Parts: sequence; structure tokens; C-alpha cells
Amino acid sequence: MSRIHQRAICVSSGLAVPLLTLLAPNWLSLSGIGPCWVVLWLLPCALEEGPLSGIFSGFCQGLILDGVTLGGPTHIPILILLGFWWGRLGRRGIPIDGSLNLGLLSWIGSVLVGLSLWIQTWILESESSAHSFQVWGLHTVLAQGIITGLMAPIACSWLLLRWRKRS
Amino acid sequence: MGVPSWASPFRLRYWRRIWPWVLLSVGLAFVRLSKGAGFSDAYAFLSRPFWPGPAQREWIQKGMQLEQQARIRLLEEDNKRLREILSLDRSSKAGVVSAAVISRTPNGWWQQLELGKGQINGIAPGNAVLGPGGLLGTIKSVTPTTSRVRLLTAPGSRVGIWLPRTKRHGILIGVGTNRPLLRFLDKNPQAREGDVVSTSPASTLVPPNVPVGVIQSLENQAVPAPQANVQLIAAPEAIDWVQVQTR
Repeated sequence: MSRIHQRAICVSSGLAVPLLTLLAPNWLSLSGIGPCWVVLWLLPCALEEGPLSGIFSGFCQGLILDGVTLGGPTHIPILILLGFWWGRLGRRGIPIDGSLNLGLLSWIGSVLVGLSLWIQTWILESESSAHSFQVWGLHTVLAQGIITGLMAPIACSWLLLRWRKRS
Repeated sequence: MGVPSWASPFRLRYWRRIWPWVLLSVGLAFVRLSKGAGFSDAYAFLSRPFWPGPAQREWIQKGMQLEQQARIRLLEEDNKRLREILSLDRSSKAGVVSAAVISRTPNGWWQQLELGKGQINGIAPGNAVLGPGGLLGTIKSVTPTTSRVRLLTAPGSRVGIWLPRTKRHGILIGVGTNRPLLRFLDKNPQAREGDVVSTSPASTLVPPNVPVGVIQSLENQAVPAPQANVQLIAAPEAIDWVQVQTR
């Protein structure tokens, strides 16, 4: 991990994630579901900084997001895993910066985050075996995955470009 | 005399390198434990110029007056003498705080509202939140200047309700969709589609006799007791001002 002042863009853009999560712009949503902002930030961050920074960034974002949401299910484990996975991908072979690759990776990330929250809610809430809960969970996972995947080529490419220019 | 092992140049250099990250982690752990204190307050401060204006507030107050009329009709049906014998909490004892909705996520994983007033305005966890038409949810957590509302539709939300027509009790359970599940406590609730659902007149957690919703569909064969899907009267997607009932 580098010195914190050398990663000012990374840290400051990371602080925008909870604010965007709270802002939840209505015009940027699919069927009422907004993008998974943390995935759009963590993907370029981990690809550029490597697995150790990816794990740390995932952990920090998980702490913040757990703080600004209702509680119960936690974001931390899945974000740590994604940070590690994307960090390793970034350290191997050809740099990942194609729109399709970024879109696909962020779609997978968003679906995994959604599945993690869905399963945790399922376990924690005894009443969540209702049919309507399963329909809502599937709808939320798919809608969030699609909108995140569509936004990734723009948001992730821009962040990657900024970080590569800086370094 | 040599340099102590803990202060060897390598370790010192390593510590100098990681201490900002350790400090950041401790700070974020504080954010997590305080349920977003700092972040929610910063968001409230930054978004203050865009908060809904007073025109919407007047519209909401008109809606609230209509709701009050419906509530009075329900209260008339109440047995006043019985309430006095039972020494139940009266809603008139509670204070009301109007608060702007500064963030809303009524459809995603976290079905919550963020309000622009908090602990310093007397809001506390567990307080009921009312919108035009009826109950919206309850306060889950507070920071000094903001508070977070768990909507009735959120998974994990449970509120005791009753049917004024048949005087049968049930529990309204949030399952994520726009229509929460009403699980009756009786095997034969004598409910039908279109029945109005309100908070229990014996409720001490939420204000008594507040309209909540209308039964949309019934499942009489459900086990262990019949259940129903309820369409809420107050829609969180369109509300810019709410009223918090403080105790």
C-alpha cells in the first residue's frame, strides 16, 4: 500500500461512494433500482492498486456502507473478496481496460454483492421465505446488475484513466 | 547499546508508512459503529440547498388534515372508557416533528429514508414516521442532525396492526416489495379485499389508530394463519416531508 497522500484521488473518490449511495438519483435507475456505486469504484481501484489495496479498500467501503444503511446484512465480506479478486486480475497479464471487460466484471461484482445481501437477509429474517421476497430479491439483483454493467464502461474507464495519469 | 528491536529502522519506516491507513480504518470503524455519523451529517449539510421547499410542505399539511379526519372517524369507534381503564398511551401526549426527506431508497436492498432532523430535535430510535395518508415506518437510527427510517416495506420490518371492521389483529411484515405481508393472528380473520388496515388501538410502540393501508389480496389457505398483501396508503416514493411522532 502506498502513502495516503499519494492516493488522494483514490481516497477522495472513495468518499463519494456513500454520498452517491445516499443521493440515489432517480433518473439513474432501472425499475427504481440504482447502480451499485461501490462496485463502480472498487473495480478500477483494485485493478490499478493490486490485491492488498483491493482488500483494504473493500473493507473500508464495507464499513462505511454498513454505517449508512439500515444494518443486518453486511457488505464487508463480499467487498473484500471482490477487492482481492480484481486486484489479482489487475496484476496478471494484459491490463483490463476494454468496455466489455469492465462492464462484465462490474456486472458480476454487482450480482455477487446482491446475492450476498439477499442470502444474508434470507438467513437473518425468518419471515423472508415468502414467495414475494424471492421475487423481489431476484428483481433487485438483476436490475442492479444491468444498470451497474451499463454504467461501468463510462465510470470505470474514467476512473482508471485518472489513476493511470496520476501514477 | 544497540537500538531496541521494536525501534529498528525497518519497523519504524514500516510503521510510518502504514499509520495513516490504520488511522483511516479506525475512523471508518467509528462511522460503522455510529451508524453513519459524520457521513449522514455531511450529506445533510451538502444537500441542504436542495431540500424540498415550503410549498410542498403546505401540500403535505393539507394531506395530513385529510388523514386526521379519517383518524377521528376511527377514534370515534374506539371504546373511550375501555382505553381509560387500560391506561393506554394517547397520541395527543406525543410531540410531532416535521422533517424533510433528504435521501430515499424505497426499492433497493435498503428500503430507507434519511430525514434532515435528528437527535438534537428530539427524534429517537423507535419513533413512528407518518406521511400524508398514514404510517410510513419507524426510526431505526439517529445522528445529531439526521435520522434513518426503516420503511414498512423493508425486510425485517414488523408492526402490529388490526382491522377496524372486524377488530382482528395481525402483524404487518416487510418483504421488500411495495406490498407488505399481513399475517393474521386469528385462523378466521373475516377479512376481505378492500378492508382498511390501521395500527392497533392498544399499540404503545406506534401511535394508535393510524391508517396504514388497504388489503389487496387474501390467502385464506395459508398456514398457520391466513395472510394478505397490503397496499400502503402513504407512498414513500413521492413524499418530501414527513412527521415524526416523538415520545
